[in-house]
This record gives sequence, C-alpha cells and structure tokens, in this order.
Amino acid sequence: MISLEHVTKRYGDRMAVDDLSIEIDDGDVAVLIGPSGCGKTTTLRMINRLIEPTSGRILIDGTDAATLKPEELRQHIGYAIQSVGLFPHLTVAENIATVPKLLGWKTARIVSRCEELLALVGLDPAQYSRKYPRQLSGGEAQRVGVARALAADPPILLMDEPFGAVDPLNRDRLQGEFLRIQRDLKKTVVFVTHDVDEAIRLADKIALMRDGHLEQYDSPEQLLDHPETKFVHDFVGADAALKRLGRVRVDSVMRTGQATVRADQPDAIEAACASESRFVYLVDADGVLVGWIDSRVLDRGTPAAEAATRVDWRQAAVRPDGSLKEALARMLALGYRSLPVVAAGGRLLGHVTLSDVEKTMEGGDAHLADHTDNEAGSIGGGGE
Amino acid sequence: MAIASAMPSESYPSAKVVDRAASAGAVVALAGCLLLPFVEFRPNRIVDGRLLHLLQCAGVWGWVLLAVLLLSLGAALLPGRYRGRGLLAGAVLSFGALLFALGSATTKLMPAGDTPARVSIAGGAWIALVGIAMIWFQGNRVARSHKASAAAALTGTALLVAAWWFGGLSQLSLAVEYRAQADTFWQLTYSHVLLVLGGTLIATVIGIPLGIVAARSGFARAVAIPVVGIIQTIPSLALYGLLVIPLAALGLPTLGTVPALIALTLYALLPIVRNTFLGVSGVDASSIDAGLGMGMSRRQLLWRVEFPLALPLVLEGLRAALVLTIGIAAVMAIAGAQDLGTLIFLGWGSIAVDLVLLGAIPMVVLSIIADQGMRALESVVVSPGIRIPREEELSA
Repeated sequence: MISLEHVTKRYGDRMAVDDLSIEIDDGDVAVLIGPSGCGKTTTLRMINRLIEPTSGRILIDGTDAATLKPEELRQHIGYAIQSVGLFPHLTVAENIATVPKLLGWKTARIVSRCEELLALVGLDPAQYSRKYPRQLSGGEAQRVGVARALAADPPILLMDEPFGAVDPLNRDRLQGEFLRIQRDLKKTVVFVTHDVDEAIRLADKIALMRDGHLEQYDSPEQLLDHPETKFVHDFVGADAALKRLGRVRVDSVMRTGQATVRADQPDAIEAACASESRFVYLVDADGVLVGWIDSRVLDRGTPAAEAATRVDWRQAAVRPDGSLKEALARMLALGYRSLPVVAAGGRLLGHVTLSDVEKTMEGGDAHLADHTDNEAGSIGGGGE
Repeated sequence: MAIASAMPSESYPSAKVVDRAASAGAVVALAGCLLLPFVEFRPNRIVDGRLLHLLQCAGVWGWVLLAVLLLSLGAALLPGRYRGRGLLAGAVLSFGALLFALGSATTKLMPAGDTPARVSIAGGAWIALVGIAMIWFQGNRVARSHKASAAAALTGTALLVAAWWFGGLSQLSLAVEYRAQADTFWQLTYSHVLLVLGGTLIATVIGIPLGIVAARSGFARAVAIPVVGIIQTIPSLALYGLLVIPLAALGLPTLGTVPALIALTLYALLPIVRNTFLGVSGVDASSIDAGLGMGMSRRQLLWRVEFPLALPLVLEGLRAALVLTIGIAAVMAIAGAQDLGTLIFLGWGSIAVDLVLLGAIPMVVLSIIADQGMRALESVVVSPGIRIPREEELSA
C-alpha cells in the first residue's frame, strides 16, 4: 500500500502539490489526472523520490520512503515514462536488463527474464531482443518501456503518460494489453495521464487534481455519476454515459455462435445464406476473418460469394479486450450495425451489435459494477 | 563533396549522377600530367634544372598512368553499384602508375655511377598526386566499406614498396635525400609521434573529466570552456613565448621537449573538453530521467548511459586533437623540440626542397593514419544503436 500523507511540494512561492493525502491499495491502478500543471507528475515523481517533498510523508507498505536510500527505493519501483527513455545505445534486451543488472542478477536469469517479458508485452523475443531502439516503432518502444519497468518484478509501477506518444489506435491496443497484463500481475500502479477516457478505462481509483490539490479521489463510476465539484463535473464532461462504455470490455457483450463458413467453399456459403442468419461470416482455413455477407442485401440469382463484403480484420473488427467505446466508434466510423470480434491473429471469435452497445449504455450502474468479472457472451448468448 | 557527405544513403548504390569530387580529381590529375612538367633534372648543383613532361620522360609508364586516370574518370562519370570500389581501384592503380612513372623517368635520366645529378618531382606530378588523393578519399566515402578501404591502402603501400625496390623510385632525389638522412628521419618521426601521443594523452586525461564536470556544473562550464577556447586562439609561437615565464619560474627547461609537450597538451584540450562537454550535456533528458528513475546512481548513470552516448563526439574530439597536434608539433621545432619540423626548418635554411618534403610528407601520412585510425576505432567502440548506419545494416 502506498500512502501519501499531507504531501506538499513548493517551488518558491508556487505550490506544485498542496497538502495531498491519498491511499493506494495493493493491486490497484490509481490514475492521477488533471490539467497540465496540476501537480500530477510531481506527485508521481515524489513517490520514487526523483522529487523530494517539501513536507508530508510518503509511506510504502508502512515504511517512510524518505528513510530509504533513493537508488534502492527506485530499483524496487518500476518506472515508465511518456518519452519511453529507452537507452539508444543498448539493445532491447540490454534495456530490459537495466534494473536486473543493477540488482546483480546472474546472466542466465536476466536472459530468461527478458524473453519472458518480451513475450508478455507481445513482442517476439527472437525478433526483438537484439534490435536497437531506433529500429522500433512508437508502439513497440512503449511496449519495451513497459517490459523494462517490469523487469525486476517490482510490486509498484509508476507510469507517467506511458501511452501518450502513440497514435490513438495503438494507444487503445496498448491500454487493452495493459489491462490484460495487470489482471495477471496485480501490481500497485500509479498512472499519470491527461486523457479522461484512458483514466476511466484503466483506473480502479481516479485522483483528479487541480492546481496542486485533490478535487476528488474515487472510483471511475463514482466520479462519473457523483462528481463532487463543478470542476470534476466539467472535467469528466457531459458524456458520462459514453465514457462508461470505456470501462466495458467487448467480450462482455460479445455474441458467439454466429454463422461462419469457409470463404473458399461456395456451396457452404449458399447454404448458410439460405438459413435464418442475417450475417454470415467468412473465414479462411485458419479461421481468420476475411469478410461477411449480409443476407438481406442478397439478390436472388447472384452467387452469394460475390455479394460478400471483403474486409481486413485489422480495420473492420475489434478485439475481445477492447472497450465498447472503441467498438461504438468503429461502428459509427464504418457505418456498420455489427462488428466481428477477432483474436490477436485475426481468428473470428464472435461479434458485437449496436443494439447491445445501446443496451449497455442504458443499463447503467448495475451492469458496470462488476465489469471486470463479466464472462464472454453473458448478455447476448447464442446466435441470432 | 558536401552534398555527398550530407546524404550518404543517396550516393549509393545506384548513384545516378556524376560524382563531381572524383571526376574533378581525375581531371586535375590528367591536366597535371599533360600540361605541367613531371620531373626536373639537374645534372649537378650549379646548372639550372631541365623540366620534362610525363610523355617525354616516363616511357610506357606515362601512357599507363594516363590510361588508369581515364579509367578513374570513367568510374566517376558512370553510375553504378560498384562506383565506390571502382574509384578506389582507379586511385590505387593511378597512384602506383605515378610512382612507376617517376621511377622510370629517374632511371632513364640518371647517369650511371656516383653522380651529383638529381631527378626531383615537378609540379605536374605533385598536382597529379593531389588529384589522385581526391579520387581516393571520394572512393572511400562512396564505397562505405572498411574492407575495401583497407584493401586499397594495403595495395597502395605494396605498390610504393614495389616501385621503390623494382621501379627505380629509390633513385629519385627525395629518396637519395632520405637515404642520406635515414637515421635522423626515423628518430625525428618517432619523437614527433611521441610528442603528439603524449600531448593528446595528457589532454585526454585532463580534458574528459573537465568536459564532464563542465556538463554538470554551470560554474565549471563558465570557466573551463572559455579558457580552453582562448588558449586555442593564441598563435602557437606566442603560446610558446608565454610558457617561458612560468617554466623558468619553476626551474623547468624553457626549450625543447617540456614546453612543446605542454603547448601541445594545451592545444589538444579544446577539442577534447568541448566535445566531451557537448556530448555529455547533449544526452537526451528522457534517458537521464529513465536511468535515475530505475535507480542508477549518478556514477552509474555517467558510465552506463551518459558517457557511452557521448562517445561518438568524444572520439571526434580526440581525432581532431591528434590531427591538430601533428601539425602544431612541427612548429615547436623552432623552440628546440626534436621532431619532423626540425627537418622542415633545416630544409628551409639550406634551400633544400627535398629536405622540407622529407619532413612534410610523413606529417601528411601521420595525419591520414590518425584520421582513419580514429574512424576505425569509432566503428568498433561506438554502439551500433547510435552510429550512423552503414548500407548493409540498413538493408538487413
């Protein structure tokens, strides 16, 4: 547990952080958010003593951080920053090995840990270990940055806008992967962002800050439904219902059992189109989505295979760990009322419909309360 | 040349345009060979010399030289994947042909037996040498291959040795002068190298820590950088004069090796201090933040992050210091330092051009060795992650 007790940081006359007290439970993701200059990054950097508080105490599992040696404290707290800060002269593997080396791990242990971490963040160790940072894309560099922060398996992770420098599509994917990793690892995470949607999607608790002091420290649901001040209300915005969708995973409303046929089997396609299903999904031999047929737009006479909408799953599908907000945005952008859901390699898992998204929006708190425990298909269930 | 070095990836592999630097070098060399006298023949020390053109004196080697220069020009004009290697081959062969042409002219002109007659290199051959050097450097740049550059350098040396032993080059007046002075020559070259290495080494030991401190503290920066900068602006002889007072006060010799070493150290400081300072202070703030945030001490941060990232600039500073002090060391001969400058001043004093050359040529060679050696060192010790990538690595 991390406790900040009346923490204050003053630069001359300016109060960067003003009498801040929050508690972060083990295994929780606490997001610090607020307009720039609100003191969120200063707060984060006081936890690993990159900045020393002017007054107040920071307790980590009951121990006052000020009593520990700064280097030792930091070696046991993962640290990931917006600009990533990968060392350009070291390979990916050497970057990840930074803290283990400082801690004096044996080489064999470091090597296997690097491979494990690269796999965890979704990068092939064989392909990426020996690359240099300049050979990575922005998203890949961010992943390596997260892997490096996790290297020595620290119980606490400090992340300062770690996904700030990547494009929205990649950010969404990184957020999904972060949630997946966090579900397994259960780190105590302090996460700084200025993006409300990111905060709502990732946080167990959100600390909204303004001019160095705390406006509200609550769960995302409480913050959306019961803003305590006008500032909080204005900051989270009027579209609370839409924002809530950011917290619901696609697989919680995903329908399975849809009609699926191999794209290279015309007879099967005809047969499937003749059946009840409105949508028939086309996959290749590996189950990877290649397109679909809307049986309502079928002309009698023309082969069904020709009426198929051919798509690239990277664009026209969502991932099960994506948010419903993203799914909705994708539907609106593409003009579809239904989207296929695919696994990492494009394999079709199910689909999600606009009406289910709408139901979720209307459903409100009852549905949201246990969003993390939703089983796949818990709302829709079987096929159409 | 500037354009080619600014956009290295553009000049290879399918350079579509004419290589201006190399073709200019080939034209200069051809013009030198055809328009200006190639060697000067003096039957004895009293009579005025007779100037002879390449095709008048060098026989078949004159035609060979013209032919390989034309081939080099072709490599510079024709686009192609192997242009860099073509230029290197052209330069090396031209260099060899020039040496054999000089040797052949010497053999033909020199009377038999013990003679006061001398055959010396004239303007045309010098200009041809300059042109060939232009092609050679451009070839190294375009080829971007250490192997090709090393092969060219080795072949060039082998051709020099061959022309010396079998091509009559050893009868050239410069060679005669060298034989007369061989012991002195090598001794002076050796002490020249020692002076340069000593001065640069001391400057490195002082300069790198000074540069690091300057990058850390505003006060050190405000003092160190201007001071080493001002030293650089003092003309070498004036600096030498200024050194006399403190040296005399300390009871140290005011002439010879000690003041020369001190002066060279002072001159070598600027590039080393400045480049170390620039390198360390130019390290990306996010790398420093990440290093500190992961629990590195200041010392660990310096040696694991900041210094490796500053290394390309530090080495560049060392390279500049070496090349600079090779030149300045010669001037130090005026005040009694024993080095290649001694030969140059001796030659000037006795109007013996060959003696001047005997001092000057090894300095040029030393500069090239220092320059290329430091570049080779850089390619070994600097991380591939921050080196300018070579073509092979880019395409891999």
